[in-house]
Amino acid sequence: MINFVNKLKIEKRLRVSRLSQFLSVLIAIMAAFMIAAILISMAGANVPEAFSALFAGAFSSKKAFMETLVKATPLTLTGLAVALAFRGRVWNIGAEGQFFVGAMASYWISTNLTWLPTVWLFAANIVIAFLAAAAIGLIPGVLKAKLGVDETVVTIMMNYIIRYFLSFMLSGPWQDPRYEFQMSPEIPKVSYFPVLLSNTRLHAGFIIALLAALLVYLLLQKTPLGYEMRAVGFNPIAAKFKGINITKNIIIIMALSAGIAGLAGAGEMAGLHHRLRIDISTGYGYTGILIAVMAGLNPITVIPVAILFGALVNGATRMQVLTKVPVSVVYATEAIILLFVLAAQVLSEYRIRSIRDVE
Amino acid sequence: MLSDLLHITFVISILAGMFRIATPLLLAASGELVAERAGVMNMSIEGTMLMGAFAGFLAAAKTGSLLAGTIMAILAGGLWGLLFAFLACTLKVNQIIASLTSNLLSSGLTFYGYRVAFGEERATIPSIKIFEVVQIPYLSKIPFIGEVLFSQFLLSYVALLMVPIIGFFLYRTKYGLQIRSLGENPRAVDMRGVSVTRLQYFAVIFGGMMSGLGGSFLTLASAGLFLPDITAGRGWLAYVIVIAGNWAPGKILIAALAFAFLDSFQLHLQSLGVNFPYQILLALPYVFAILVMAGNRSRSAAPLSLAIPYRR
Repeated sequence: MINFVNKLKIEKRLRVSRLSQFLSVLIAIMAAFMIAAILISMAGANVPEAFSALFAGAFSSKKAFMETLVKATPLTLTGLAVALAFRGRVWNIGAEGQFFVGAMASYWISTNLTWLPTVWLFAANIVIAFLAAAAIGLIPGVLKAKLGVDETVVTIMMNYIIRYFLSFMLSGPWQDPRYEFQMSPEIPKVSYFPVLLSNTRLHAGFIIALLAALLVYLLLQKTPLGYEMRAVGFNPIAAKFKGINITKNIIIIMALSAGIAGLAGAGEMAGLHHRLRIDISTGYGYTGILIAVMAGLNPITVIPVAILFGALVNGATRMQVLTKVPVSVVYATEAIILLFVLAAQVLSEYRIRSIRDVE
Repeated sequence: MLSDLLHITFVISILAGMFRIATPLLLAASGELVAERAGVMNMSIEGTMLMGAFAGFLAAAKTGSLLAGTIMAILAGGLWGLLFAFLACTLKVNQIIASLTSNLLSSGLTFYGYRVAFGEERATIPSIKIFEVVQIPYLSKIPFIGEVLFSQFLLSYVALLMVPIIGFFLYRTKYGLQIRSLGENPRAVDMRGVSVTRLQYFAVIFGGMMSGLGGSFLTLASAGLFLPDITAGRGWLAYVIVIAGNWAPGKILIAALAFAFLDSFQLHLQSLGVNFPYQILLALPYVFAILVMAGNRSRSAAPLSLAIPYRR
């Protein structure tokens, strides 16, 4: 007689469907919010009350939602910068420093080139902020491409060096003498980025961010460089034998990635704060890493993820006012979301199947 | 000014400062050495040290016991090691991405935890009474050497002692041999019936505990208070030190001392009130790290299977 026994077996799926990927991300986000609920209750707040304040702060009115987009603007750009670099297997974690370089370049333009016609001043602001940050990106790029130096370490070290440089500029040459705080005087009004909607703070940087997402998408999908990047990402050795110049690509990718992060800095300086401050970034460069990875390194997906994270930061401000839960809870929540998304991505590659075994 | 620099008490102060500053770097780097020799590239040292610094401070401030703080720091570091091992060895997530996630998680959690535990920003920053310096009997009386080497915090002696201990463990014990083989050829270890995953978990958790302990030095022996991101890149410096030390315990000690000397030197230069922007001085160790990385690539003894997840 033959006995059939049902056994559970974990095996790798041959294909992961879009739907199961989407569902796994959704479950991951919900799980992360449950952890966030525990964190919020640790602060002694009423959890439903806190969450509703968070949601209302981010979406309840047109003004609130525009403010969410304001917060999403630098995050979209740093997210794109990281996504582009990671796509090419260039581990640029220097977006934070490159952001500061863009902001500093923008400050210099905004105060020194005010004689330009407004449109040209705006253009110069964007182009030069991009180029300055891209030039800084050449340092880790060339070190990696020519000498094989680990770019993760170089970019993170440069984050500290650039921040000290900014601190130096803001406590001396560029400091507003009326304040103790490390910040510059305001830039002239002609240098402001145009505001998109009256009575909101949403500025042209948001359009730049959307355009940048589109351009990165086209770069990856429609250009030889994009094709080569995908090839290198897929199989570096085969790509090399096909005659792809990996050295050149690493340098270009690092420079482009750094330049995009620099745009984020320019937008925050000339579009939002209208002055340089030592705290002009609340870790945008690092949050960009979370956003890029969560978006699966897809430049278009970066936009909604950045808006989600922008909503968290924006809503948390209201939550802090109403329920006394510190804003910093979102920084922890963001990382927890990514943690669960990473786990979910891996787990969705597997399935549990009941198989019949002959005993 | 030059006469100030060459004055004997000043030299002693710089060198004593070097051993103090080297302590957290050395603890974290020697822990990371074990993890990397086991083939796991844990770049979340920064976040792990931060967890140790925070957990240690929290426990010490709430219980009033520095010993409790130290134990909590080790446990928090071990927990962070466990988290990384789960991501890297079980889920086989890309180790760079796993590291960055873990770093950002501890940055966010400690920032929030600090606010929840100690309230909003106040005029007086919460602080604790730090460890006292341990004068080693007789040895601390030796002129010059005694003041430099034998009048340090307990943890500094521990850090120095861990170097030969880890060296002995890696090169003279069965488990050390298994860990070293793991970094070179995990398949060979697997074929002998040793669990690759279990051994890597052990190595990474041990590395995490050492980083956590190193982090606790910052709050319990150096500062006596906690600030967001108080580690300020020291975890990354520890990562560079492992590379600069070419994955060998003795050379790692030398590399850690070199970084610490530079830091101690710039701190003392600041204290002299030299007319030089202090930010440039503060940036020196990071500039040095980049130069070390650029100059160090040729004679690499990196484990062959470093950062490659093992699949059967």
